[in-house]
Amino acid sequence: MSYEMWTEKYRPKSLDEIMNQKEIVERLKSFVKAKNIPHCIFAGPPGTGKTTAALCLTHDLYGENYRGHLKELNASDERGINVVRETVKTFARTRSIGEIPFKIMILDEADNMTRDAQQALRRTMERFTETCRFILICNYSGKIIEPIQSRCAPFRFTYLSKEDQHTYLQKIIQKENVQVLDEGFNAIFEVSGGDLRKAVNALQAAASLGRPINTETMYSVVGRANPVDIQNMMLLAMKGNFVEARNKLREMIWKYGLAGNDIIRQVHIEIFRSQLPERWKLAKSTSA
Amino acid sequence: MYTAWTVKHKPQTLSEVVGNNEAIQKLTNWIESWNKGIPKKRATLLYGPPGIGKTVSIETLANDLKMELVEKNASDYRTADAVKRFAGLASQYSTLFGDKRVILLDELDGITGTSDRGGVRAVIETIKTARCPVVLIANNAYDRKFSNLRRYCLLIEFKKPTVLQVARHLKSICASEGIEADERALKLIAERSGRDVRSAVNDLQALAQSRKQLIYEDVAWLAERDRKDVIFKVLNTIFRARDCLEAKSAIDAADVDPDMLFQWIYENVPHQLTDARDLAMAMDALATADVYRGRIRATQNWRLLRYVFDFMTAGVAMSRQRTKPSGWVPFKFPERIQWLGRTKRDREMQSLIGMKVKKKMHVSSTRAVKEILPYLRVIFEANAEMAAGIAKWLDVDESMIKYLAGSEGRARAILGNISG
Repeated sequence: MSYEMWTEKYRPKSLDEIMNQKEIVERLKSFVKAKNIPHCIFAGPPGTGKTTAALCLTHDLYGENYRGHLKELNASDERGINVVRETVKTFARTRSIGEIPFKIMILDEADNMTRDAQQALRRTMERFTETCRFILICNYSGKIIEPIQSRCAPFRFTYLSKEDQHTYLQKIIQKENVQVLDEGFNAIFEVSGGDLRKAVNALQAAASLGRPINTETMYSVVGRANPVDIQNMMLLAMKGNFVEARNKLREMIWKYGLAGNDIIRQVHIEIFRSQLPERWKLAKSTSA
Repeated sequence: MYTAWTVKHKPQTLSEVVGNNEAIQKLTNWIESWNKGIPKKRATLLYGPPGIGKTVSIETLANDLKMELVEKNASDYRTADAVKRFAGLASQYSTLFGDKRVILLDELDGITGTSDRGGVRAVIETIKTARCPVVLIANNAYDRKFSNLRRYCLLIEFKKPTVLQVARHLKSICASEGIEADERALKLIAERSGRDVRSAVNDLQALAQSRKQLIYEDVAWLAERDRKDVIFKVLNTIFRARDCLEAKSAIDAADVDPDMLFQWIYENVPHQLTDARDLAMAMDALATADVYRGRIRATQNWRLLRYVFDFMTAGVAMSRQRTKPSGWVPFKFPERIQWLGRTKRDREMQSLIGMKVKKKMHVSSTRAVKEILPYLRVIFEANAEMAAGIAKWLDVDESMIKYLAGSEGRARAILGNISG
């Protein structure tokens, strides 16, 4: 049994190990060959390899000691203008030593940066191009201001196909010696919807239960990951006990910090698994 | 013992005064110019809204420069005679002991036409012959009664400090009182005071005295309590309205924050509309209102607000179709705030774990809480061995392990695996 989170343990180290997003990987490899990269925007849904691609690119450019040439900032945690003025600028303006004259700054979840911060970033990107290249990572490039977009090479990441996800998980399953039934794979795909991080996390959680993974195991993991039983909440509401159901919902959001989207997704799944008359199911799920 | 914090934490030197750097510089220059002889303007008029440091500026300046401050305010002098008696003091720059002297006439607005007859004129006479600096303080320098006076005075405007400056001042008070205060809480106090430093300090004392901690919810709660009566009236109109226009009029009646009103309506809808179908309809209306709210937040197109209001008021009011009329059902406070308070520790623990995850897993701490923590919980509950490995790898401490494992016993099993 392994002693870390599998998403990190099996995260590709080099561009060669990335198996999907083929066109993107090819272009990135050509950057490595030229030993030069432009500022980049990696846009796409979560769990599709944006951060991994950025890390791999840096690794392939600088070799094993790439960490010294790289700074990772997460804009969700540090998104104000002061971060750009201080942290980013300080990093960007100092010269790099070695064969490649620039360093790389990865700004993850950059769509969460304030507009002010983005404006400040724009000037920093221009002034320090010689010494620093930026990789902006975001879900929607639309939230990045136009002037920054026009200075960056855009890359669009898409959800992994079922086959790609399957191949990737297969590798982990062999190394970790986990037993997964075919129906288990389908369930993982349904739960993750092409988000590989989610898929691997769900797989690891299911494996921690220590039994072969089938549909039931997968759903019980997702159920357990939502500590207040969503089914229970829905039953309460349908019995007319709205106030108590609402308290359950509040518990999920405030006490357990669950994302609203995940709750809705789960409610949606539960409706179709429920005993409701069939003709009601669709009407209910539109209001969910 | 009870001392007002406005007194206890009054600035002792000029540098401690909040904000107004420009005005303070001007004032200092003018006072210092007296060392080179009598300047053109023998008096200065400090003006600006209350509670922002006009008086304390001159007090601390005099103190810093070791000058004697002769202070009179509106309660001391009223009539021309009183001012004249006082004026004698102004005829000399130095005191008997060689200290320099400043004359301060505070609360000049207090001089009124009839009872202080000739008061302003007497002040002007005093200024004309003054041999030491005369500082006047008023809220409104452009009052008609000061029109003559203004010509003899150097006008220095004091402006309201920024919310941040006020909050910083509050923070330093908290520090010296040994109170751990949430920055957002202090900002809210500063905002609510209308950037009036004195009133902000008073509010702070009311909220935080003899406490160790001040969190945002403490302050937010107070803010809402103030508005309770207004809100109850609005809710009453909405839940009793017979037609759309009547329901919509609830909003015009009061100036309430739409987000807050939304919380109030949402909280009370299930208690007021007890028929399930009515409730479903009302919730649907609220959901529609919420969609518009989201759109406003995303696009900053505030013109959409009218539709939010329509669904919040008329939409909810018209949902009452089947609910049987009952007696008066008391309104409930939005529980959101209580929930936030009650679950604060949980959320703190989550964000601490989120920070640990962030360090290892290339995600933001917020995303870690939402996407990874649930799976960690499953693993920590189900598999002590794997959990032990991950705990070590993430470098989480005992309290975090306990939180993730959900029970004392499972946490012990994991800890056993770590040391074993």
